[in-house]
Amino acid sequence: MRSKIIIGTMIFSWIAFLNAFAQERRLEGEVSVTGVAPKIEGGKAKFNEYRDIRDGAYVEIETRYHADQYYLDFRAQDIGYKTQRYGIEGGKWGSFKYHFDYDEIPHNFTYGAKSFYTGVGGAKLTFPTQPPSKDINTWTTFDYSIERKNYGGGFKLDMLKPFYFDASVNREERKGLYPVGAAGTSSGGIAIELPAPINYMTDNLKLEAGYIQNPFFFSLGYFYSTFRNDNSQLDFRNPANGSTAATTDIFTLPPNNTYYRLDLKGGVKLPFRSKFNLDLASSSTQSDVNLLSSYVALGGRNFINLSSPVFNGKVDTQSYNFMLTSNPFRPLDAKLFYKYYERRNKSNSITTTDGPNTFSNPLFDYRNQKYGAELGFKLPASFNLTAAYTHARIERRDRDNIPTNTDDTYGADLRWSGLDFMVAKVGYERLQRKGDFGQPADPNLLEHYVRRYDVASRDRNTYKAIVDFFPIENLNFSLGYKYKDTNYNETILGLQSDKRSEFTMDGDYLIAKRVRLFAYFDFAYVKLDQFQRTVTSANNPPSPLPADPGNPPTITPAPQSLQAFNWKVTQTETNYGYGLGADLYILPQKLTLKLQHNWTKSDGYADYTYFRAFNPAIIPTDAGRTQDNIDISNWGKYETRFYMARLTYNLTKTLSFAGGYVYEKFIADDAQYNGYNYTIGGNFLTGAYTNPSYEANIAFLSAAYRF
Amino acid sequence: MKKYFVSISFFPILIFLWAIFLPAEVRGSDGVVGVEICKGCHEDHYNSYMRSTHAKKAIPNSPANLEGCETCHGPGAAHVEKSGERGVGIFIFSKKIADARSKSAKCLSCHGESRDLSFWDVAKHPSVDVSCDNCHTVHSMTPKNLKATQPDLCNICHRSIRAQQNKQSHHPIRDGKLKCTDCHDHHGGFGQHMIKAESVNELCYKCHADKRGPFMWQHPPVEENCLSCHTAHGSNVSKLLVSRVPLLCQACHADTGHPGTGNTSFETFQGRTPSNKMFARACLNCHSTIHGSNGPSVQGRRFVR
Repeated sequence: MRSKIIIGTMIFSWIAFLNAFAQERRLEGEVSVTGVAPKIEGGKAKFNEYRDIRDGAYVEIETRYHADQYYLDFRAQDIGYKTQRYGIEGGKWGSFKYHFDYDEIPHNFTYGAKSFYTGVGGAKLTFPTQPPSKDINTWTTFDYSIERKNYGGGFKLDMLKPFYFDASVNREERKGLYPVGAAGTSSGGIAIELPAPINYMTDNLKLEAGYIQNPFFFSLGYFYSTFRNDNSQLDFRNPANGSTAATTDIFTLPPNNTYYRLDLKGGVKLPFRSKFNLDLASSSTQSDVNLLSSYVALGGRNFINLSSPVFNGKVDTQSYNFMLTSNPFRPLDAKLFYKYYERRNKSNSITTTDGPNTFSNPLFDYRNQKYGAELGFKLPASFNLTAAYTHARIERRDRDNIPTNTDDTYGADLRWSGLDFMVAKVGYERLQRKGDFGQPADPNLLEHYVRRYDVASRDRNTYKAIVDFFPIENLNFSLGYKYKDTNYNETILGLQSDKRSEFTMDGDYLIAKRVRLFAYFDFAYVKLDQFQRTVTSANNPPSPLPADPGNPPTITPAPQSLQAFNWKVTQTETNYGYGLGADLYILPQKLTLKLQHNWTKSDGYADYTYFRAFNPAIIPTDAGRTQDNIDISNWGKYETRFYMARLTYNLTKTLSFAGGYVYEKFIADDAQYNGYNYTIGGNFLTGAYTNPSYEANIAFLSAAYRF
Repeated sequence: MKKYFVSISFFPILIFLWAIFLPAEVRGSDGVVGVEICKGCHEDHYNSYMRSTHAKKAIPNSPANLEGCETCHGPGAAHVEKSGERGVGIFIFSKKIADARSKSAKCLSCHGESRDLSFWDVAKHPSVDVSCDNCHTVHSMTPKNLKATQPDLCNICHRSIRAQQNKQSHHPIRDGKLKCTDCHDHHGGFGQHMIKAESVNELCYKCHADKRGPFMWQHPPVEENCLSCHTAHGSNVSKLLVSRVPLLCQACHADTGHPGTGNTSFETFQGRTPSNKMFARACLNCHSTIHGSNGPSVQGRRFVR
């Protein structure tokens, strides 16, 4: 209802405005209506992931009213659909401008999901009798989908030059259902997938005032945002812990929070065509949450002692950025910079006492300092050389044992534009990261050998080459290649290497103003090598644990069932994509045929190697495993096909018609979802993200009137 | 010490005085022929100019209040005298005739005093010879005078980003619901990769405010950089993850028990020993609050509530 009021107000103000000023004016625009008849088979949610294509008529209106002093633009798209969008922008030339916007975005995940719970859509999920029914035909059916509505408006004042002022507000509402999951018991057990309600509202206010007149620029900005969640928790009856309907388990949902940010930006021009720029900012995020004093575990409710019943979350950030840019003489461009970013966690540390265990929440924070330089040289023979160096140091608090990273990044790009019809560029960048890991000294702990990839020491080399050709005015052709090789040189357990290649090719050719041909081809290959160690023991774990990956494999039968062995996995991902298209101007400015075909394909593979002696006689859990049957060939495979033909006929300068056909196909083949079973192994799943494959045939016919 | 302080204080005062008395840029008016002469040969361009914002007299300092076409193209007399050949005796925005810096300088002579371009020299674009006319044309009525709509315009150069946008898991960029400029400051800013925030997380939180927390139980890589696990433009893995769960999680969590267990084809739905650590969302089947939790005791600490 609210959206209708806003849209109505926007249209009314637009009409009123048109008649408000008696002056020379020009009104132009376009109204189009497109009738769509889709036939979709399969995963309709994936097809309409961010769209709302269904039988019906899609109306688009665009008007531009430009007078000598004032202007007003209006745009409406997809009226009445879940993707509808409206916008008004107006103002007085050179003095002020304002805008109002309304926009809807759907995000569809899965249609026809199922759950044994009743109350789906709310914040309390239950079921009548324990255990819940495993007959999915008796379950509740629902859609995992989120609708986002965004209302906004703003005002910009420029008439007081050199001063300016900006203000804008917006509200975003999100509603829908999203899949979350909970472990059935406190230390694991079955997985229970829960449809969590999304009822979010975010309000934002942005203000900026500034002064800009050569050689100065200063601005002061303020941003304030509040996030509100109608549901702080999702209550659910847990089928794993034997709870009664009255003993509900609780899943916590994102808390309300407030965020503000203040920033000062500035710049001053200096002698020798130099400029000093700065950006200083400070922000704070706060959230106060009443904590739960108990939780449901197998056998009943566990009560815990907390040093404070309320968590006062507070995270502040500070950032300082300075950059000096200079072009003292034509062949040299220089940039020198220093950046500082600090995240300070000022939340309260709460001590939890849970039976014999006592622990506190760590207060993770960090600071990042970075400085560097970039120098660009114009060399003889149309060569341009850019060299850059950056040093960064990240210091952390309360993140396991990883206090510091030091990064040194060197790079150079060489560009040649010596020919009228070609520009070529090659580049190289090297990153050397040192991770100051303070892992436990005890070699009998696995953690001793682990290096987490986001902070691990690494050498990364990146090579790239790009060639752009434009031999004649209407022909462009380009080739690009990039290779990135990351070697985590100190990692024993974890991600050891990451290699990526990319190749792109593009072309565009207009022939005799009658035919435009365009094509692209993309190829990307990713290879990730990961080395791991399994140490599990069902009973009586030996002491010390055989954690050292240098140890030989240790496999013992039940009852101890100890397994300790290394394994590695190489994940590869091969992506291909191409697009071909043609615009055929059959009758110039009268009849145009557009043809387009796009295709993408991705092959994912996981190549596992178990460094152990397979012996089903000793290890019953091997269940027939051999080195040859543990790989996964459909590790996220998919293919998309798209065909479109569209014929446009301009009957007059103001009236045109178009008609066409689109075929889309998406084929997914994923080992983690193939053979989906809602209740396998006692787990309770809901079908989230299953069966996304679809095939769609869409016919469309449109008429457009321009005025 | 005091002497040093006085000396250091004197330096910004010098800069200020220099800036105050900085000579204004001189625009020559010799050889100007006027828009009517230009129209005689370039009527199409003239008409499009007249429909554009540049022709609005209400805007102080617009070309309409200066020299019309010649505000950007320079005085046209020499061009007229030399028979009007393309690019002869006049400035045109052609990559074969003018370099990127010269072309942008023309635009910046007016738009340099615009807050949107106040950090243009900080941006990556000018240092790789991208000029204003690569993206904008004054001879059009498109929004912001752009030569194409986003993301197609940006993808002309950023081709590997185009390939990522075409992947099955993606932000709604190609669907027209998110623009490159919603996240990137194409005209220059201090953020890494010209993002419109001081850090990646502060950028992501603008839309994903539910992830802001602050949570009692934090997952440090999440707090430090969303891009530790996610990629921004597109991925083959759902939720824009950089690689597939459980292997993504196991790259860091290799402890005893299930974190370090190598789940293979045997643990999938169709395997002989299906496991909820492998099928469907794998680790995330249970550890759903991976972005942070206020859950009680070990349930919050392990991100399962």
